Amino acid sequence: MRPAKEWLIRCLVAAALSAVLLPAAELRVSPKQLELRDPFARQQVLVESAGADVTRQSRYVVADPTVAAVDETGLVRPISRGNTQLTISYGDASATLMLSVGDLAAEREVNFKTEIEPLLTRYGCNSGGCHGKASGQNGFRLSLFGFDPDFDHDALVHEARGRRVNVAAPETSLLLTKASGRVPHGGGKRIEPGSDPWQVLLAWIRSGARRAAPETPSVERIEIEPAERLFPPQASQQLRVTAFYTDGSQRDVTRQADYASNLDVVATVDAEGFVTAQGGSGEATIMARYMGQVAVFRAIRPHGQPLTEIPEFEPAGEIDRLAAEKWKKLGLRPSPLCDDATFLRRATIDLAGRLPTVEETRQFLADETPDKRVRLIDRLLDSPDYPSYFALKWSVILRNSRLAGAEQAAYAFHNWIRDQIARNRPYDEFVRGIVAAAGEWQDAPAINWYWQSRDDQLHTVTADTAQLFLGLRLQCARCHHHPYERWGQADYYGLAGFFTRLGRKSFGEPPPYFNAANVTTGERNPLTGRPPEPRFLDGETPTFTPEQDPRHALVDWMARPDNPYFARAFVNRMWGHFFGIGLVHEVDDMRGTNPPSNPAILDYLAQEFLRSKFDMRHVIRLIATSRLYQLSAEPRPENEQDRQNFARFYARRLIAEVLLDAVDQTCGTRSQFSNMSATARAVDLPHEGFGSYFLDTFDRPQRVTVCECERSPGATLAQVLLLANSDEIENKIADGNGRIARLMQAQASLEAMVEELYLAAFSRYPTEPERRTAGDYLTSAEDRRRAVEDLLWTLLNTREFTFNH
Amino acid sequence: MFDLLLHSTTSACDGLSRRHFIRVGSLAFGGWSLAGWCARSAQGGASPVRNKAVIQIWLAGGPSHIDMYDLKPSAPTEYRGEFRPIATNVGGIEISEHLPLQARVMDKLAIVRSAWHTNAGHGMGSQWMLTGWQPTIEVNNNIYPACGSVVARLKGANDPELPAYVNLPHALGLGKAAYLGASYNPFAPENDPNQDGFQVRNLKLPGRVDLGRLGNRRSLLGQLDTLRRDLDTRRDMQELDRFYAQGLEMVTSDKALRAFDIHSEAAPLRERYGRNDLGQSCLLARRLVEAGVSYVTIQAGGGWDTHGDNFKQLKDHLLPKFDRALAALVSDLAERGLLNDVLVMAFGEFGRTPRINSGAGRDHWPGAMSVVFAGGGLRLGQTIGETDSKAEYPISKPYTPGDILSTMYHVLGIDHHHVFYDPAQRPLPVLPEGNPIPELV
Repeated sequence: MRPAKEWLIRCLVAAALSAVLLPAAELRVSPKQLELRDPFARQQVLVESAGADVTRQSRYVVADPTVAAVDETGLVRPISRGNTQLTISYGDASATLMLSVGDLAAEREVNFKTEIEPLLTRYGCNSGGCHGKASGQNGFRLSLFGFDPDFDHDALVHEARGRRVNVAAPETSLLLTKASGRVPHGGGKRIEPGSDPWQVLLAWIRSGARRAAPETPSVERIEIEPAERLFPPQASQQLRVTAFYTDGSQRDVTRQADYASNLDVVATVDAEGFVTAQGGSGEATIMARYMGQVAVFRAIRPHGQPLTEIPEFEPAGEIDRLAAEKWKKLGLRPSPLCDDATFLRRATIDLAGRLPTVEETRQFLADETPDKRVRLIDRLLDSPDYPSYFALKWSVILRNSRLAGAEQAAYAFHNWIRDQIARNRPYDEFVRGIVAAAGEWQDAPAINWYWQSRDDQLHTVTADTAQLFLGLRLQCARCHHHPYERWGQADYYGLAGFFTRLGRKSFGEPPPYFNAANVTTGERNPLTGRPPEPRFLDGETPTFTPEQDPRHALVDWMARPDNPYFARAFVNRMWGHFFGIGLVHEVDDMRGTNPPSNPAILDYLAQEFLRSKFDMRHVIRLIATSRLYQLSAEPRPENEQDRQNFARFYARRLIAEVLLDAVDQTCGTRSQFSNMSATARAVDLPHEGFGSYFLDTFDRPQRVTVCECERSPGATLAQVLLLANSDEIENKIADGNGRIARLMQAQASLEAMVEELYLAAFSRYPTEPERRTAGDYLTSAEDRRRAVEDLLWTLLNTREFTFNH
Repeated sequence: MFDLLLHSTTSACDGLSRRHFIRVGSLAFGGWSLAGWCARSAQGGASPVRNKAVIQIWLAGGPSHIDMYDLKPSAPTEYRGEFRPIATNVGGIEISEHLPLQARVMDKLAIVRSAWHTNAGHGMGSQWMLTGWQPTIEVNNNIYPACGSVVARLKGANDPELPAYVNLPHALGLGKAAYLGASYNPFAPENDPNQDGFQVRNLKLPGRVDLGRLGNRRSLLGQLDTLRRDLDTRRDMQELDRFYAQGLEMVTSDKALRAFDIHSEAAPLRERYGRNDLGQSCLLARRLVEAGVSYVTIQAGGGWDTHGDNFKQLKDHLLPKFDRALAALVSDLAERGLLNDVLVMAFGEFGRTPRINSGAGRDHWPGAMSVVFAGGGLRLGQTIGETDSKAEYPISKPYTPGDILSTMYHVLGIDHHHVFYDPAQRPLPVLPEGNPIPELV
């Protein structure tokens, strides 16, 4: 508390001093002149002094107050036709703008599509929780986020016997009385009577509540100003949002757009587009949304003073250099490199899906060559454990399941993926093998990907393709315009169009799949009423002969060097694998409103991926051999708030399969899975159907979704009881052929036993205090064997064991 | 995950809900009557339910409504089946002759005969009835959160030392938390409470470990588990610490052990529920809600998917067990004064084809199904809705899965419009449709 208070006082003093003593800094005001053409036009003025926003601290004076008025937020509103001047002053500085107001008396018609719909969105009327949901709310239904103005117009004007909109007595319209809370409204009071939005609604009803003419211009894009700002704590920034229309016109929509911050601890935004920095440091993205268009403002709260150099961190490559550039800007200092033992454990878990063996650990720790970490990465990438572990990773998100009779096909698909990875097949060819799979499962096991979508094949495959291989969550656009992106139904159904000719035979589980000459789906594009037709996301519309399989063209398009999604989606997914979160988080949710924390690294890796002709191992090697990946997880004061820029390693719990294998490896035991060889580990299981209470308790994915988020890190009581209080674990600890039994049989010394248990569980030697504590426990025990078991139980139940750190 | 309260009540039922709360208030007070208190005290320390709780009996496979609660004796022979209706202790209400014990407590039950939906697949139908949402594809897990997980998330356990949501005897395949996160998955004993040596999986100390040894281990853990807890960004480490504290507390204090200790129930009461997995799960469920669990889902016995030999299966196996278990549960709750606090509901994923198939069985039929409610302060001793002369479709008061489940949420005081966000950041309300059944609330 105290430092904060002290800081505040210092700031106040500084502010007072600057107001009194400092020479007036120049004011930067925008726009340069103001022109308001109709009664509903508004203009947000932005005022900046010495690099800080002072819009709300400035004084505004309109020379002729009968022409226009300005409120304390810098919002200009017209009063009557005329020309005048607006003088803005802050401290000793001032600026004067020309201000002209057009003919307001010529009452212009309010446009339903461009003016009423945005209000329905802005005030949440057409959101998914209210009237926008498929069932509407209390009999009143609007299209979600206003994507269908004609539908909404009917709902407002023609349904409910004209009570919602009453042209004869506009003020009694339910649209106004409910929204302003004068008549009880389940959604509460949304707008003030007499306020700007209320006036717009009223004017629209008064002028006949007409639907928009077909040629009404639509919003082409929106722009947000400024684009980015570095904030000291408690600082603020007024935003301005301008909409650009298809007819070339533009309009200030600052008060009609709606806003959201993706990180409230860093910066919040209110309904007027006013951003306030909060206590947390980092970067927040503020999104503005208006009429299906989005734009973002980056609010950057540095962790400390900007740095010119970070001497304690020596970049080993481009990733490190680019990360350090970002740290300097944010005033972040990285944690030191982790020790060898931690790195060995971390890299072995992430690349091989297992703990290092005791022997591997001893050797690695004894190795004194300087490049041993890089050689470790290469050794792991060359080991069979790498394809095994990554086959599990892909098999899960490719939803390789044994459901619907696919037991054998699931084995085959799993093995196919492992083989592709082992041979380091170029990623585009790997993807082609899945997306364009055809034939019988024995030859093309990837058809199980289609088979597992059989209930809703066209839509599942379309959405999965976008999410898996393009990093786009397009499924929203099946039914409505994506709320946080530019994607609409035309884009979604364009992608779906590549999958409409997929046929399948009527025998076998999975049955053979083939490219049919004609459309095989009954699904329709709701925009056209016809089967979806192929269109690439960037707008080209290819045509195909009956012999051509459109899916190959889709993969060709993905693999084009100028495809902005394909390479980035892969490298981001890999980044997420090694660092716990993606450069874009979530890893498969890449969109303009969810920008990467470090765009330069994303671009660099994507370019490397392209340059290497989609060499998966190359990208993984670049990531795993970076210094960034070697940083300690222990925060230092300068980076303890960092959760976006990888200035330290972010620890995470071992996933279910790896954790079970780790327990077994540490205890010197094996779990048995029915119909699998005795040496099979949990990470080797080809599908979800192998009964295991342990795996289920630790939330093994059931391969239900394409999202990596199906693995929930959430802890449960059952997990704790299993690890700490179960016969299952107790039996492993005390197994007659287990590690302890072997140590006892070999009559190992107590010191040796402690050391080996530490090496097995933590991949490190015990510290002196740990040797003492453990040694004391063992020597003071009556039953030595039980005491060693207690020590192993203890190690298995530490966070050091269950987390990759 | 975020969630957002859009509105606390709907305007449609404002008037109703106010009246309802007054009524529940007075009945709840009645629940604390001297008789009820004495009954509880006599049990020696079983703590009263301070809050509302739900026991859901999940009749997996799809129970045959036309043979249980919606008999059509005048339907053509290929429909009506072998069973005859019998009178109940409520004038005018008749149910199957193979539910004689329930007939005697009909005044404590309410039967909705007009429930229906449109999906005849086990997986999808089950998800619909267990979550309120119809899934679009058939997969291993429920895509939307099961009701018990929603309750765990929005209400929590009535006693924080116990899990909020329990499945008996095993975790349901489609009863999980989905996008609410694994922390809200059900806790399950994973053992049959009818077994002599019944105990909760991993709650009792493992064979070679006693309390003293566990104490030694915990103290050693305290000394050696020294990794800093601020190494991750999601607070998973601290979260796990919290579950360790709760889990080991459950092991060492006897509160949870006592709640699950079905052996301490008197033999006659255990007999009254039926010495089988379903009966004993119902008895255990009563113990759990008494102790402070807020939602219990029971899936025991199974076998309701009577495609073949429907009548023999029902009268020899399914109905006698279920009749006894539900009747005993309802009367036991009533005797303990808990009937107003604890809502009991029983249904499956759908009804069964009224037309009998060639194997003397009945197939999947979502067009009509019967749902049994008891307790929860609802208006009981009634049937609600009617089906046509062949029990194929509702002809009055058709009620959807959302209507059924919102009635349950209403009893718990949970707003079923509350919005969660799924991984795609879609705002998804607790239920996509439905309103509490007005005849019940």
